Amino acid sequence: MKLPSLIATVTSVMLAGAAFAAEDPIRIGVPVGLSGANSVVAPSVVQSAELAVEEINAAGGVLGRPLELVIADDASGAAGAQKAFDSLVFQKEVDVLISMETSAARNAGLPIVSRGRVPYIYTSFYEGRSCNPYLFVDAWVPEQQVPPIVDYLNAEGAKKYFLIGSDYAFGRGMLDFARSYVESTGGEIVGEEYLPMDGTDWTAIISKLKASGAEAMITSTAGGAPNVTLTKQLRGAGVDLPYANLAVDEGTAKSMGADAAGILISASYVTGIDSAENKAFLDAMKAKFGDELRTPNDLSVPQYEAVYLYKAAVEKAGSTDAKAVLDVLPEVSFTGPRGTIQMSKQHHAPLTMYLGQVQEDGSVVVVETFKDVDPGEQCPKL
Amino acid sequence: MTLLLDIVTTAAILFIVSAGLLAIFGVLEIVNFAHGAWLTVGAYCAVVTGGLGLNPWLALPLAFVAGAVLGGVTERLIVRPLYARPLDAILATWGLGIVIGQLITLWFGRDVQFTENLLSGTIHVLGISYSLYRIFALAAALVIGLGFAFLLEGTRLGLSARAIIMNEPLARALGLDTTRIRLFTFMIGTGLTALAGVLLTPLTSVDPTMGVSWLIGSFMLVMVAGSSFGALAIACLVFGGAQVLVSTFISPILGGITVAVLSALVLRISSKGFARA
Repeated sequence: MKLPSLIATVTSVMLAGAAFAAEDPIRIGVPVGLSGANSVVAPSVVQSAELAVEEINAAGGVLGRPLELVIADDASGAAGAQKAFDSLVFQKEVDVLISMETSAARNAGLPIVSRGRVPYIYTSFYEGRSCNPYLFVDAWVPEQQVPPIVDYLNAEGAKKYFLIGSDYAFGRGMLDFARSYVESTGGEIVGEEYLPMDGTDWTAIISKLKASGAEAMITSTAGGAPNVTLTKQLRGAGVDLPYANLAVDEGTAKSMGADAAGILISASYVTGIDSAENKAFLDAMKAKFGDELRTPNDLSVPQYEAVYLYKAAVEKAGSTDAKAVLDVLPEVSFTGPRGTIQMSKQHHAPLTMYLGQVQEDGSVVVVETFKDVDPGEQCPKL
Repeated sequence: MTLLLDIVTTAAILFIVSAGLLAIFGVLEIVNFAHGAWLTVGAYCAVVTGGLGLNPWLALPLAFVAGAVLGGVTERLIVRPLYARPLDAILATWGLGIVIGQLITLWFGRDVQFTENLLSGTIHVLGISYSLYRIFALAAALVIGLGFAFLLEGTRLGLSARAIIMNEPLARALGLDTTRIRLFTFMIGTGLTALAGVLLTPLTSVDPTMGVSWLIGSFMLVMVAGSSFGALAIACLVFGGAQVLVSTFISPILGGITVAVLSALVLRISSKGFARA
């Protein structure tokens, strides 16, 4: 999204607030990667937060007060996140932080959240086990994403797996979990290889893959460029093994065209979910943003739902007091595009996972649905 | 056998990517740090060609022309005053690279772009099935290498260029229009680099920063090769080969830094690198 239209939307939200007879707005801080690695996905996240706020305000706000978004660029990294969190928590004095960010940005922001005592709902899928009394997560962790894929491949008869990833926390974390899950279900890992995040030459890894006798491969690269590069080179080398990709989203799959055909993805949201809530959400997004609409995805929809979860918690607590809201956050639920979400499991949420397969035309067809997959033991001490 | 093909095709791709940089460095003694940006420009020519619904192969001539024309403008406005100040030229071209990257972002957005594949599928060579496109890249590298050899050894422009490399004041005193020869050389270099950008599209994603990851590798190879295309070919084979071997037998993560580390070592031992070869 372009900056002027962003400012315009934030202003319009504030104008809408004027209807609330000068009630103080409830401020939602959104630190998000408008620049840097997350800049491709960040606009869709901001859009879905804007829709949630607009809908809630149109219906009378929360405890009679309007919601107001305060958006800050975290530059997708630790240094930017420190500035963004500092300014949101201590200068703008927001009541809550709701954001989709990189793990580096989240980790840099958490100490500031603890110091400022603000509830923080993290809406990005991640490698798991980030625990803090102020932190709640409504997106998936490896325990929820990997098993559907491996179970499906096992059922297809695959026993030997080859793992390929980008060399960073998320890439390695996902594949570490994939390795242990494959081995626990009787499969065998015949190779595990990584390339640096900015690496472009997968030649040697692909040759190893072809020589390994693998029957299926699971990849977890950084999103965007490395994903596309690896897939192109795999297809160029004539690799047509069952191919599960832990890091590709619907939009990227679409832009890859025929090269992406056959790729298996596992997500808590795909646009094709057949429910009234999802249809209503997609229609409302289209109506609000028109040509500017960024396709809703597995990172932007949890953001939308998190705003509603916060609303439910404030209403149940009867105030925006951090302690009171944190106490009731695990108890409230919201039924949105992904189904009914409740962050009841050690600050994480059981989620329905969808196993999709990319078609020749780039669309994603749901092959199998896994109901209420448990996030497992994420934060036993909370 | 796969290993052998991996090595020669990796070397071929490195050669294609570095050839344009070498053409400019060899004759003009300017390091064009906007090299990565020209690669990106070329790749986006493939995006535009696809967007217009044209045959993807047309992207090759289109990219060469676009690269050469833009290179001509750059040479006239930015590089020409800096021939005597090579360090400033590095700064200027580095800055130009950032500007070009931002312009591409403004125009096309940050997203990864889709291009149609030039060639897909595999081919049976030497008893194994191998990526057809990589074999094609090998042929393309040979064509580019031989084309340059012909240009330098067999044409008037090449003769003049060699005269400039050896002794520019003398060449000028003998009546050669060195300004024009510099302009043409720069245009050929950037045109060729944009062409290489198109040739990269089946191998990498197309996005505004795609050129950056190739810049350092090609810079190192050119530093080692000096001004000779033969030396560049050898450097690509040796370092590309080392990269594949390290990636295969030790770790692909270390493989990624092989070219840079080996180049630094070679330059430490012999400041002329492979140029004597």
